[in-house]
Amino acid sequence: MIEIKHLAKKFAVENPKKLSEQERKDPRLQGRFFHSVKDVSFSCKQGEVLGLLGPNGAGKTTTLRILSTALKADAGQVMINGHNVLENPLIARKKIGFLSGTTGLYGRLTGRENIAYFGQLHGLTAGEIASRIDELANLLDMQSFLDRRAENFSTGMKQKVSIARAVIHQPELVVLDEPTTGLDIMATATVMEFIQRLKSQGTPVIFSTHHLDEVQELCDRVTVIDQGETRFDDTVEAFSALADGKLHQSFLSVLNQSQVKGVA
Amino acid sequence: MWMIFRKEWKELLRDRKTLFFMIALPMLLFPLIFGAIIFFTANAVKDAESKVLNYAIVGAEYSTQISQALADAPDKFKRIEIDANADYAVLIKDKTVDFILVIPAEFGTNVLDNGPQKIALYLNDAGLNMVYRRVNEIVSDLSDQVQQDSFARLGLSETQQQGLLEPVSLERKNVADERENWGEKIGGMLPYMIFILCLQGAMAPAADLGAGEKERGTLETLLISPMERYKLVMGKFLTIGFAGVTSALITVASLALWGLVLSQGLAIAKVAAFMAMIGWIDFVLIFLMLIPVVAIFAAVLLSLSIYARSFKEAQSYMGSLIIFVLLPVIIALTPGVKLEGHWVWVPLTNVALAMKELVKGTMDYFALIGIFTSTAVIAVALIAFCIHWFNKEKVLFR
Repeated sequence: MIEIKHLAKKFAVENPKKLSEQERKDPRLQGRFFHSVKDVSFSCKQGEVLGLLGPNGAGKTTTLRILSTALKADAGQVMINGHNVLENPLIARKKIGFLSGTTGLYGRLTGRENIAYFGQLHGLTAGEIASRIDELANLLDMQSFLDRRAENFSTGMKQKVSIARAVIHQPELVVLDEPTTGLDIMATATVMEFIQRLKSQGTPVIFSTHHLDEVQELCDRVTVIDQGETRFDDTVEAFSALADGKLHQSFLSVLNQSQVKGVA
Repeated sequence: MWMIFRKEWKELLRDRKTLFFMIALPMLLFPLIFGAIIFFTANAVKDAESKVLNYAIVGAEYSTQISQALADAPDKFKRIEIDANADYAVLIKDKTVDFILVIPAEFGTNVLDNGPQKIALYLNDAGLNMVYRRVNEIVSDLSDQVQQDSFARLGLSETQQQGLLEPVSLERKNVADERENWGEKIGGMLPYMIFILCLQGAMAPAADLGAGEKERGTLETLLISPMERYKLVMGKFLTIGFAGVTSALITVASLALWGLVLSQGLAIAKVAAFMAMIGWIDFVLIFLMLIPVVAIFAAVLLSLSIYARSFKEAQSYMGSLIIFVLLPVIIALTPGVKLEGHWVWVPLTNVALAMKELVKGTMDYFALIGIFTSTAVIAVALIAFCIHWFNKEKVLFR
């Protein structure tokens, strides 16, 4: 069970004069600080997949970075199976598998070495790493390129290795930041199948996306963030019901309400 | 920490750019550059010395000895006839002649009556030409002969002749032993070379381990691994420091090796004798002094690298760092700056001065403890800063 309550995070603006007109008009800019996340709350139970939606700059990545302990929250609470992430980040890191928005790999290491390195960082033994890599290679269809240097990988190959790297330690929670962005149809299908598999194993998955078809196919819950605040947090069915089953319309309707609320 | 160190080294050793800067450059390029300079300089000197020089002589009749001496060396000099009123500068610039000797009408070898004599040599002295030296050999022979004749006319004994040639002289009685002499000459350059090599060897991996992680997008994943931040920093810090020391050691070893090869055994005995004079304990102490210095470099480089947004930005910051490293070493090379008083406490300058003293064999070993401790304290402080820097979100996510 993952519970996120009233999360808030602000950043100091290095040079306010360099901000664009649009950025200066953003209500989240207050003095020298930009309140990227103002009040975000949602929860995800065992075996659930939660889709995190929102326009660009809504605060999704900041939220996921706080969840993964890369950033510290200014306020709020993140609980993973009873452990406070913000108070015990080291313990939380062992429980979380995080895939960031950038598919960063060590180019001079092979795919296998990239995955193994993070296995070592998580304290796995050589035997555990080897068997886990074999398992993941089968699941993500990576056998053909696993022992090649990552510098020559396609985007799809990189993303598969990145996902394997994120879950090498069999985390209790998997957080994926736009995992299918830039992938071709085949690679996207592999990633989707993998998320489905995690779900069937009872591992909660939180992933941000702009693809509503992925939400429809995979998600049990939907959370929409806009202007750094949670605007919607409920089941996919409830989300779909907002516009008679048309998720695209549902999304726009949530955003429109959000803007009305913002103006008001 | 060692896991990070091992992984970083595995990556570094697979990086052609790092291998080039850390191993190939010091092993091949530096010796090649030095070798090429020596080769071309030696050839230029040889050419200048063996070239047949075209010359003109005005007033040859006033000194038959000189004109005859030039004529007697056809493999070295070739006479060209010119108009006595010609423009000498034009003739030399258009390479009609290499030099023109002008012997005045009043020239005579009776210096006891006429005083010292002057012969004008017109030449283009820009560049390597050896004209002055080669003509002066002939004029000096005549000068020595005139001197001997004059002494003979005066009826002076050999002692009197010596006394007149050098009535009062200062005899150098150097109490410094050979090690101190050599150490003074070489010891100052040693830290200059080693510091720069350590810094240069550490720069490429430092840029890769900080800014490179940001640019590749691997930093965020690394930061959320269950590895304490200080271990992460220490792993990277050790990699950079080790790379710096390795690069310096490879360079010094390769310079020594290629120096022996290029000089074809010349001066080996002298170098070997000098090296034998320096005790192994001094070499160990020099290496020990280098450890906190490299630690300072590694901590500063890693801090700059992690602050930078990109590899390119990191390299530009690091380029500026060379000035800050060179300055204290240059101060140590300045005459009058010695390992005493406040200089003992000036970072890097004190280590450079201590290395010089160790090579000379005049080190006050008690002062060494203070220098090592103070440098180590600075290094530890900088490592602590680096760890603090690695915990700042505005640095990591700029």
